[in-house]
Amino acid sequence: MLRERLFFGDRVVGLGLVIAFCAVTVLPLLYMVSLSLQSETEVLSGDPVLWPETPRWDNFAVLFDSAPIARFVLNSLIMAGAITLSHLIFDPLIGYVFAKFTFPFKNTLFLVILATLMVPFFVRMIPLYVMMSNVGWLDSYQGLIVPFLMDAYGIFLMRQFISPLPDELIDAARVDGASELRIFARVILPQTKPALAVLGLFTFVFQWNEFLWPLVATSREEMRTMTVGLSLFNREAFTLWNLTAAGAVILFIPTIILFFVSQRYLVRGIALTGLK
Amino acid sequence: MASGLATRERSGAGPSAAGPGRRYSLERRQRRTAYLFLLPALGFFGLLFFYPLGQELITSLYTGPRADRFSGLQNYAGSFLDPAVRNSFWLTLIYAAGVLVLTIGLGLLLALILNQPLRGRTVLRAVLLVPYLTSIVITGLLWRNILDPQVGILNRLFEAVGLPAQNWLLTDPLATLIGISVWQHTGYTSVLFLAGLQGIPEVYYEAARIDGASVLQRFRYVTIPFLAPATLFVSVIGVIWSLQQFALPFLVTDGGPGNATDLYIFHVYNVAFEFRDFGYASALSYLLLVVIMIFTLIQFRAGRRSEFA
Repeated sequence: MLRERLFFGDRVVGLGLVIAFCAVTVLPLLYMVSLSLQSETEVLSGDPVLWPETPRWDNFAVLFDSAPIARFVLNSLIMAGAITLSHLIFDPLIGYVFAKFTFPFKNTLFLVILATLMVPFFVRMIPLYVMMSNVGWLDSYQGLIVPFLMDAYGIFLMRQFISPLPDELIDAARVDGASELRIFARVILPQTKPALAVLGLFTFVFQWNEFLWPLVATSREEMRTMTVGLSLFNREAFTLWNLTAAGAVILFIPTIILFFVSQRYLVRGIALTGLK
Repeated sequence: MASGLATRERSGAGPSAAGPGRRYSLERRQRRTAYLFLLPALGFFGLLFFYPLGQELITSLYTGPRADRFSGLQNYAGSFLDPAVRNSFWLTLIYAAGVLVLTIGLGLLLALILNQPLRGRTVLRAVLLVPYLTSIVITGLLWRNILDPQVGILNRLFEAVGLPAQNWLLTDPLATLIGISVWQHTGYTSVLFLAGLQGIPEVYYEAARIDGASVLQRFRYVTIPFLAPATLFVSVIGVIWSLQQFALPFLVTDGGPGNATDLYIFHVYNVAFEFRDFGYASALSYLLLVVIMIFTLIQFRAGRRSEFA
């Protein structure tokens, strides 16, 4: 059958447009890498260059000396890592309950959890700040992590993924006398690996990129995440664009890894986690 | 129904037969397990979603630096007359509308092109998604540097081709933020449209062709109607996202020049954490929540017909 060509302009023009758009996408990010390797004179000259005469890799060392970047990165890793781990445990667990169990108020409870999708973060921001302040969790890892431990969309996804799995798997394990937690961990969880991979990668990158809550919930420099640390570093050292760009390159690493590790997952993952 | 069965068995003669008794205990075990597994989620969503939601509503009725003087609906009434809030609200609507129109137009165009069999299509598609997965901090700081009138590379490139130097962050700050957001979100939009396009059954085109429909007619009467759900989804998601934009004014313009880019949540953030007026900031948050709820309900309503919902 003849496939419909939806773009009825010239094919070469179309390809040219896409390539132009990709160039607009990629070139600023490449320029960021170039900036991170330029000397102070080059970034301040008022005569910007596309590529430095000699790439200065020691900008990264200078950056680590001028701000606690290692600490920022560590904080981001701990925050995003802990949140991702929590999602990988709880999203499938709760999804499994709604996919495979029968109990009173099941639909009501599911709707209540789904309703949290309609609560944007900014509505929770002030009360969370007050709560965290009351329990002394501002400037702490708990304070950064706890508001994001689970996610209704992740639960929804996992429910969709677990529903079609055959009930016989679970029944057989029950007959064998396996505990319910064991059934979840040993029978259900291994079946969800592809979905968990996508969920984990995207959760990590989105949390690593999270900006507003770490900005609100931390005030001590040593508790800042990389996003907050870099933006405030840029406020103080606003002329040192080469160092800011070096920090941006570090901040960009998880996105790059996601891009290369999971190109085949990427498009599907976006469709799956589309609500974020 | 299941629980009714269990109750009847309990009040009955007892588990004399192995069948019903076993079934009863299995059901009870299932129920117990379900609630046990749900416990952390109920605690989490109750304590960190619903409790804050209620707390925010209560705080919005109070005033003073510690939000401890009851003032009824005064915060809400005041916000309608507050010129700064009205300014923020209109700016945010313009920003959201601008981002929406441009991302949908460009996103659809890219999707239509990428829907053809092209070499390297997967890679191009993935490349288009990179800005969406890039931290807003990178996006904001990078574009501030590129657009800088003194040290930015863009004016340098303009000079090279004989165009006059520009200082867009001063002359068109809101349009500039719209442009940056379009850079970040068009690829994402195009991937969602692409999914919509690939869901159109080929037979409709075939039928239209047999009926003698031209290329343009096929686009108008097959492609466009089939893309309606995807367009709605993209629009609602995009608008909800745009209405909450905080980071770009914070990172790029600091809300300025003057208050030309004082987007709504950036304004709320400053009311809360610079002026320490939690009561007023809470009321402002609730007002935006109402606007967002309306958009979300539109999506849920229409989403029943959409394959994306």
